[in-house]
Amino acid sequence: MKSDREAMSQERKAGLLRRTSSSKKTLKEKVVLMYDEIFTKDDPAKSNPRFWDELFLMKVNLEYLEGKLESLDGDEVMVKENINSLFHHCVLALEDEHQIKVVNALQTLCALFRGVYQKNKSATGFDIINMLVGFDKAELRMKNLMESLDSLLCGDGSESLKSLCLKLLLCLVTVTDNISQNTILEYVMINSIFEAILQILSDVSSRAQHGYDAVVLLALLVNYRKYESVNPYIVKLSIVDDEATLDGMGMVVHQALTEYNRQYKDKEEENHGGFFSTLTNMVGSMFIADADEKLSVQTNEAILLALYEAVHLNRNFITVLAQSHPEIDMAATPVSTTPTTPTTPLGTTPPSLDMMHNPELPLDPNLQTSNLLITFLKYSSIVMQDTKDEHRLNSARLCLIILTCIAEDQYADAFLHDDNMNFRVNLHRMPMRHRKKAADKNIPSRPLVCAVMDLMVEFIVTHMMKEFPMDLYMRCVQIIHKLICYQKKCRIRLHYTWRELWSALINLVKFLLSNETTLLAKHNIFYLALQVVNLFNMFITYGDTFLPTPSSYDELYYEIVRMHQVFDNLYCMALRVSTNVGQWKEPASKVTHALVNVRAIVNHFNPKIESYAAVNHISQLSEDQVLEVVRSNYDTLTLKLQDGLDQFERYSEQPKETGFFKELVRSISLNVRKNVSLNTLSQDVLLKEFSSIS
Amino acid sequence: MGDTELELSPSHLEELQKSPSASSTSTTSSLSLPSSPSSGRHPFTSSSPSASEGLPASSPPLDVISEGVGELSLVIDTEVAKKACQEVLQKVKFLKSDGETTPASFKPVLVNGTAHNDSREGESGELNKPSKIGEEEPPPGSVKSARRRQKNNSSKQSWLLRLFESKLFDISMAISYLYNSKEPGVQAYIGNRLFSFRNEDVDFYLPQLLNMYIHMDEDVGDAIKPYVVHRCRQSINFSLQCAWLLGAYSSDMHISTQRHSRGTKLRKLILSDELKPASQRVRREILQPPAPCPPPLHHAPGLNEHGLSPSKRTHQRSKSDATVSISLSSNLKRTASNPKVESSQDEDMSSSSDSLELEAGTPVRLTPQREFIKSLMGIGKRLATLPTKEQKTQRLISELSLLNHKLPARVWLPTAAFDHHVVRVPHTQAVVLNSKDKAPYLIYVEVLECENFETSSVPVRIPETRIRSTRSVENLPDCGITPDQRASSFSTVPNYDNDDEAWSVDDIGELQVELPEIHTNSCDNISQFSVDSITSQESKEPIFIAAGDIRRRLSEQLAQTPTTFKKDPEDPSAVALKEPWQEKVRRIREASPYGHLPNWRLLSVIVKCGDDLRQELLAFQVLKQLQSIWEQERVPLWIKPYKILVISSDSGMIEPVVNAVSIHQVKKQSQLSLLDYFLQEHGNYTTEAFLTAQRNFVQSCAGYCLICYLLQVKDRHNGNILLDSEGHIIHIDFGFILSSSPRNLGFETSAFKLTNEFVDVMGGQDGDMFNYYKMLMLQGLIAARKHMEKVIQIVEIMQQGSQLPCFHGSSTIRNLKERFHMSLTEEQLQVLVEQMVDGSMRSITTKLYDGFQYLTNGIM
Repeated sequence: MKSDREAMSQERKAGLLRRTSSSKKTLKEKVVLMYDEIFTKDDPAKSNPRFWDELFLMKVNLEYLEGKLESLDGDEVMVKENINSLFHHCVLALEDEHQIKVVNALQTLCALFRGVYQKNKSATGFDIINMLVGFDKAELRMKNLMESLDSLLCGDGSESLKSLCLKLLLCLVTVTDNISQNTILEYVMINSIFEAILQILSDVSSRAQHGYDAVVLLALLVNYRKYESVNPYIVKLSIVDDEATLDGMGMVVHQALTEYNRQYKDKEEENHGGFFSTLTNMVGSMFIADADEKLSVQTNEAILLALYEAVHLNRNFITVLAQSHPEIDMAATPVSTTPTTPTTPLGTTPPSLDMMHNPELPLDPNLQTSNLLITFLKYSSIVMQDTKDEHRLNSARLCLIILTCIAEDQYADAFLHDDNMNFRVNLHRMPMRHRKKAADKNIPSRPLVCAVMDLMVEFIVTHMMKEFPMDLYMRCVQIIHKLICYQKKCRIRLHYTWRELWSALINLVKFLLSNETTLLAKHNIFYLALQVVNLFNMFITYGDTFLPTPSSYDELYYEIVRMHQVFDNLYCMALRVSTNVGQWKEPASKVTHALVNVRAIVNHFNPKIESYAAVNHISQLSEDQVLEVVRSNYDTLTLKLQDGLDQFERYSEQPKETGFFKELVRSISLNVRKNVSLNTLSQDVLLKEFSSIS
Repeated sequence: MGDTELELSPSHLEELQKSPSASSTSTTSSLSLPSSPSSGRHPFTSSSPSASEGLPASSPPLDVISEGVGELSLVIDTEVAKKACQEVLQKVKFLKSDGETTPASFKPVLVNGTAHNDSREGESGELNKPSKIGEEEPPPGSVKSARRRQKNNSSKQSWLLRLFESKLFDISMAISYLYNSKEPGVQAYIGNRLFSFRNEDVDFYLPQLLNMYIHMDEDVGDAIKPYVVHRCRQSINFSLQCAWLLGAYSSDMHISTQRHSRGTKLRKLILSDELKPASQRVRREILQPPAPCPPPLHHAPGLNEHGLSPSKRTHQRSKSDATVSISLSSNLKRTASNPKVESSQDEDMSSSSDSLELEAGTPVRLTPQREFIKSLMGIGKRLATLPTKEQKTQRLISELSLLNHKLPARVWLPTAAFDHHVVRVPHTQAVVLNSKDKAPYLIYVEVLECENFETSSVPVRIPETRIRSTRSVENLPDCGITPDQRASSFSTVPNYDNDDEAWSVDDIGELQVELPEIHTNSCDNISQFSVDSITSQESKEPIFIAAGDIRRRLSEQLAQTPTTFKKDPEDPSAVALKEPWQEKVRRIREASPYGHLPNWRLLSVIVKCGDDLRQELLAFQVLKQLQSIWEQERVPLWIKPYKILVISSDSGMIEPVVNAVSIHQVKKQSQLSLLDYFLQEHGNYTTEAFLTAQRNFVQSCAGYCLICYLLQVKDRHNGNILLDSEGHIIHIDFGFILSSSPRNLGFETSAFKLTNEFVDVMGGQDGDMFNYYKMLMLQGLIAARKHMEKVIQIVEIMQQGSQLPCFHGSSTIRNLKERFHMSLTEEQLQVLVEQMVDGSMRSITTKLYDGFQYLTNGIM
C-alpha cells in the first residue's frame, strides 16, 4: 500500500495525468504544460493573453512545480525573470474575485517558496529574495502579498481559504532551518499580520478551525531575530490585553496539551490493559520494528513554545492560566463537525471543541474542572518522566522554564496559593520498583501550589541518574525557592507535607555525594548543593513566617537530625574541596558557610538525644521521643542569620537561554515544515465549497 | 396617647363594620364626601384630571395609561371621560355582567381617582345603584349583599372616614381594610390611597397585595392593579419583584385556572415590558433617531412568545441564554478591546437593545436582570446533579468564572438596599452550602454603587490583570481609570499601599535581585529578620538568633491570628462564613480590579434552587413586623430578619447573615461547649467583651424564643441556628412554621429550643442574665400582644389560596391568635413565660431531636 502511494506521488511529480496501461504514451496535465511554458518562454502571456487567468483556474500540481523549480537551470537571469513573473501573478491573483484562483495562487506561492529555497539552499537571504520577487520590486510585492493575506484572514471568506493562508505563512516561516536567516520574513515584520492572528484567536469558530496554526505561526514569528533586532511581534504580543483573544490563545494551548495527555493516557492504558491487549501488543510489536517509538507520544514543542512566549512576554496572559473550565475529554465527545478543516494538518490539531463560549457547561458529573495550568502540570509530569530522549529533555526544560516564569509572577502566585481554589491534580508518576502507583482517587483537593510542589518533588526523586540533568535540577530547586519566598513574603502557611520535600532534598544531596567524582567532571554540583542547603536555611530561619504549625518546625529539626550523616558528609566534602586549589574552591567554601546552621542543629541536638537515650535507657528513640527532645532544647540553640536567603535571580531569557531557544525553534521549524501539507486540503472540498459561493 | 388610639381604633372599627349594622352604602357615601385624600396630597393626581377630561391620546399622561392596556381601554376611557359621574357604577356593572373582560381594561378608571371622587360628590343619590345591582348577583355577593342591606350608622360612617383621613391611617391599616372590607368603594378608595404611602412602606406588604390580587375577588384586584401598574412603570426592580411574586403565588392554583388567572395575566403584562415610563421611552427615541420602530409594535410578538415561556421554561432557556451572552458580550467586547475609550451610555443602550430586539424579540428593559437570575438558578440546578460537595464547589467556581465574562452589566442583587451594578463575581470565594439534595450556594458579588441602576451607565469592564498594572507605577497612565478616580480611591481606602499584608506594590520585585549591590536596599517589612539582615549587611557582623525565638514566634503568630476553621471538603462553607466580613471585604477588594473605585461594595447572596421560599418570606415579614413593634415599644429584643427574594415557587435568593456560623459548625470545628467557645472567642467571664457578647446572646435568645413560640418554628437543630461574631444567635430556615412540622414524629413539643448549653452561656438558671432573659420575653410578649393585629394580618392574607404546609388545617390563624393570649393578665403572662422556659429546659425532646439530627444528618 505504501509503495502504491509512493508510485502515485511519483507520477504526480512527473506530471503524468494517469498511469496508462504500459506507460507507452504519457499524457501530461495541461497545468504541467503551462508550468513548462512559464520557464521556457519569455512571456507566456504574449502568445496567450489569457495565460495567467487560465493558469490559476487549473488545479495546482505542487509536486511538479516544486520539482521543476528545483531542477531549473540555464540562464540565471531568465529563470529569475520567470520566477519573478510567476510570483507577481500569484500575488495579483490573490486579489481576484474568483476564489478558485485565489486558492491556486496560494498553493502556487507555497510551491514557489519551497522550490526556490530548496534550489538555493546555500544562497544568502537577499539572493533568495532577489530570485523570488526581484529586489527592485520586493518591497511592493511583499507588501501586496501580506495585505492580501491579511484581508483574506480577516475577511468573511471561506474557512478553507483562511486555512490555506495560514499554511502558506507557516510554509514561508519554516522554509529555512534557522528562522532568523529567513530574510524574507523582514517583510512579514514590516507588514504585520499580528492583528489577523489575534482576530482568528478571538473568534470562537475561527479559533476552533485555525487556532492551532495561528498559535504556532505566532510562536515562530516571535522568534524571528528575537535577540538581534526589534521584533514587532514581540512588542505587540507583550501588550495584548484583550481578554477574549488571550483566552482564545489559552484555549488552543489547553486543547493541544489535553489532547496530548489523553493520547498518553490511552497508550498507557493500552499497555497496562488486560491479557488480550498484552497479547496483541506482543504480536503487533513483532511486525512493527519501532514499537518503542510508537508508544511514546510525540511531544508538541511548538505549542509549548507558544505557551512560553505568552507567559513570558504577556503579563495579562497569567490570568488565562487560572481560567477554569471543565476538563475536555476528547474521547467522550463526538468529533465535532468541521467539514472544511483538514484532519490534523500539523500532527495534533485538536478537534474544535470550545468550552468557553458554550453558554452552558456539559452536565457530566464525572467531569473534572480543570484549567490551563492544571493541564500544563499534567503535561509536564508526563514529559518529565523520561528525559533520555532529546525532544523530551527539551520539552521538560521548557516546562520548567515556564514554571519558573509562573513562580515569579505574583498574580500567578496569588491564585496558586488561593485557598479557595482547590483542585485534585493527577500528576503522572513514573512507575518505580520501590513504590506503588498511588491511587488517583486518594489525592486530596488542594491549592494548586501543592501540585507544583509535588511535581518538583517528583522530579527530584526520579532523576538521580548517571546522565544527571543538572540544569533541570537547578531550575527545579529554584522554582521551589521562588514559591517559598512568596509564601514567606505573604505569610501564607501552606498545609503541605513539607517532609516529603525535605527528604527528597536530602536524598538529592546524598546522591550528589555518592557520585561526586563523575558529577564533578561535568557540573558545578556545589551550586546545586548550595541552593538545597539554602532552602533548608529558609525553613530554619524563616520557618515562623510560613510553616503551617509549630510541630512542622519540630519535624524539620527531626528530619535534619535524623539525616545528619548526609549533611556531615556534605560538609566534609565541601571543606576538602575548598581547601584544595581548583575551580571548585570558591563554590565549595560557600557551601561550608551555608551549612553553619544545619551543623549547629546537628551538633546541638545529637548529644541531647544521646543523653536522653542514656538517661532513659532506650537504645532506639521513637520519633515522638526525639521530637520531645527537640522541643525542650530549642532555647539553648543559637543560629546565625544568613543574608539574601529570600532573594533570587529573576529569570531572563538572555543571555543564558538563547542557545536553547535557537535550537528549539530550529527543531520546531523542521517539524512544522515536515507537517505542513497543502494536499490534505482536498480540491473536491474546495470546489464544493466555492461552487455555492461563486 | 397616639399609640392607644392606633391600637384601639382599627380593631374597634373593624368590629363595628362587621357588625350587622354596618352598611356598605354608608361607607361608600362617606367616601364620597372628601375629595382630598387622593386629589390634594399627592403629586400623582395632578396629572390625572387632565386625562379624564378627554385630552388627545398623545398627551403624555394619557399615553401612560393607555399603552399596554389595549384598544378596548381607549374606547372605554373616552366613554368614561364623558360619563364621569357614573364611573363607579359603570364599572361595577361591567364587571358583573361581563366576566370575561380583563380587569386591565378598567384600569384607567381607577387611576384617575379624582375623577370619580368628584363625580360621587354630586351624584350621591346614584350611589345606591351598585348595591342594587349587587343584590341581584348570585352567591359570591350574597354575604356582601346581605350586609349591604343593613342600614347605615352615621356614627360609624364618620369614624371610618375620620380614620381614613387621619394621620394614623397607615399602610398596615390600609392593607387590613383592603382585605377585610368587602365593599368595592372602600377597596377602590384604599387602592387610591396606596399612592399616598411611601414606596418602601407599601413594598413591605407587596406579597400581601399581590396575593390578594391573585386570590381575592375582582374588586380587590381592581383596586390594587392601578397602583401596581404605576409602580411597575417606575421601576424595573418593582416590576420584576411583582412578576416573580405573582408567579410564585399563582403556583398553588390549579393549572387550568392559573393560566387564565388575573395574576398570570398581570405577570405576562409586566414581563412583556409594556409598562415603561413614558418619559423614558420618549427620551430614548430622541436619543436614537434610527430606532427601527416604536416599541409597542415591536413587542407584540414578544408578548405572545413570553406567554408560553412559564410552561416551557426549559425549552426556552438555551435561546435566552444565548440572548444574554449576546447582549452582555456586545458590551464587553467593545470595552475590552479598547478599554481606554469609554463607550457612552446611550450607545450602549441602543446597541444592546437593538441586538436584543432584532435577535431575540424579547424585551430589553427587564432582560439582563432576568437572564442574570436565570443563569444563577441554572447553576444551582446543574450543581444539584453532582454527587460530592467538592465537585459541586469546583463546578460552581468554574460556572461563575464564565458568568464573570458577561459582567459588568445592568444587573443587580434585589436583596441589596442601594442601587448598584454588578461588576464581578469573585468566583473563587463562592461556596456550596450544606444541604442534602439541593445545592444552595453562597456567592459574593462585587458591585459599584450608583445613583440609579436604570439610568446610570454600566461600568466599563476592567480586565482581571488590571489590578497588577494599576498597582505598578510603570503602567499608571495605561490602566483605564481617570486620575481623579484613582486619587479618591486612595483616600477612601486608607493604607492601601502601606498595608503590610497585601502584596500591593510589586513587592516580589523587591526580593528579586539583579545586582548584588541592591541587597542593602531591599527592605522586607514583614519579617523582623530581614531588617536584621540589612543591619547585618551593613555592619558585616554576624547576627545570632535563638532557635527558640523562631519556634515561639511561630506558635504565637498562629495563636494571634483570629481563630479560623479548618478546611473541610464536606463542609466548605464553614471556613468562608467564619472569616470576619470586614476581613473578607478587604481581601476581596484588594484582589479585585474594581477594588480601587470609591463606590465599590461587596454583597453576598445565597442562591436557592429547588426550594420554596414563600414560607421564608412570610417568616421574614413577621420577624420584621415584630422587630419594629419591639423597637417601637422599646423592648431590647434582638432579632435579625434576613431578606428573602422569592423568584418562583421553587427558587429564590436569601441575604446571608454575615459574620455568623451555625452552632453545629461552631461545635464541630471547635470541639468546645458553647460556653467555652464564648470564652475562647470573647475572653474571660469578667471581660467587657464577654459580657457584651453574653448580653447579646440573651437578647437574641429571648427574641428568637418568642419568635419560635409565636410562629411555632420547628426543625430547630443546631445547623439552623447561627451564632454571630458578637454573640447573637440567629435562627434560620423557617421551613417548618405554624401548622407544619417535620415528619410529625412528635419531636420538638416544647415551646422553643432552650438547651442547657444556652442556659450555661446565660450564666446558669440562677444568674441575673437568665432572669433578664425571662423578663425580656415577658416584655416582648406584652408588646407583641399589643400589636397582634399587625402580625396576624400578614399571615392571614397570605393564607388566601395558599397550599403552603404552614397553613395546613383550618385552625392556623386561630391557633396563632391564641398564642398571643389576649385574655391573660400580665401576671398570668409572666407565669406562662416561666412555664414555657421551664418546659423547654426540661424538654427531653429537644435533646432527642438534636440526637436524631446527629444520627440522620450528622448535625451536632
